Amino acid sequence: MYNTAMLTKDLMAASSKPLLLSILAGGESYGYEIIQKVRELSGGQIEWSDGMLYPVLHRLERDGLIESEWKESDTGRERKYYFISSDGRKALKTERQQWLAVHNSLCKLWKIKPVSA
Amino acid sequence: MAGRSQLTVQIMENQTRFSLNTAIENWRNELATQPNLANDDRRELETHLRDAIADFQQRGLNGEESFWLARRRVGQPQQLGEEFVKADPAKAWRERFFSMALGMIVFFLLTQIITFAVGIALYYLFPGLREFYVKSGFWPADAVVLIIGIALARGWFAQSMKLMWFLKSRFHLVSLVVILALLLSLTQTEFARENFLLHGHHPSVVAWEWAPWGENILHFLLGYLRIVAPVIFLVLLFPAQNQKALKRS
Repeated sequence: MYNTAMLTKDLMAASSKPLLLSILAGGESYGYEIIQKVRELSGGQIEWSDGMLYPVLHRLERDGLIESEWKESDTGRERKYYFISSDGRKALKTERQQWLAVHNSLCKLWKIKPVSA
Repeated sequence: MAGRSQLTVQIMENQTRFSLNTAIENWRNELATQPNLANDDRRELETHLRDAIADFQQRGLNGEESFWLARRRVGQPQQLGEEFVKADPAKAWRERFFSMALGMIVFFLLTQIITFAVGIALYYLFPGLREFYVKSGFWPADAVVLIIGIALARGWFAQSMKLMWFLKSRFHLVSLVVILALLLSLTQTEFARENFLLHGHHPSVVAWEWAPWGENILHFLLGYLRIVAPVIFLVLLFPAQNQKALKRS
């Protein structure tokens, strides 16, 4: 179960915002589905604890970046769906620039001095 | 002998048979003890738990295994409470103020009701004690309420009286409290109480006849506000998220 390549706590906290906003930018979703998606995308390297996701979602909602609504799914079960707001899309754009800046810098550095596997 | 032991095994099996609904119900009750989780949070976590259970069952696990795995995945109720507070400390305080306001109003209502119940009992049973009761500032009624409050807080009635519904539907409790408070506020003033208990006039008649045309309209209004103000406070504090959820459901 334990994965050595798992993200540190700080990195997990920092990356949750762009990840959530990006997922919701692709369409509305609910907690369980979001977690599954993150797990799938990262190949299990980003393992969010399920209950911790909601405080993050609620904070984004409070900041006006996402909105939520209780809706009945096609299976008849009620779920709380989240969707991105226009402010959220703006925030995502900024996040994207910042993360790409870090990513590109690291790439350049590591091309010069690659880490041996 | 063989038949008998088989029967015993069967009984034991029935007794320990896992009920998914009961397990979810217990989990829900456990979650309800976390003061930092709002109704809406709990509802959301429960849909998550149910989704996880359904997912595990689809992968071929039985009800019990699915439940325990899902439960573990969602997290310990206490831990969840702590995480939710970290995300929104102000919300936790709103919840606490809400609980305090609710507690105060329930205490107040109980005092009002019991004051009258004791008053009526004295009126018919021991008329001689009526005056003492009114002059005493109704403290015997307050004492009864205090004892009930302590009993509730210590959980003396919790099991026998099935008082848990208080916790399950806060919306119903608040509605009941608001209705009771508004009804009582129409009839209750210091003056009406004393008149009823000393002279036997019905309190609503007294309040109505006396107050609007009397000299002390301000007194009446203040008596009225004393009951209505905390109710307004309570309704204002009712968590916004819950209100939103209620409108939609």
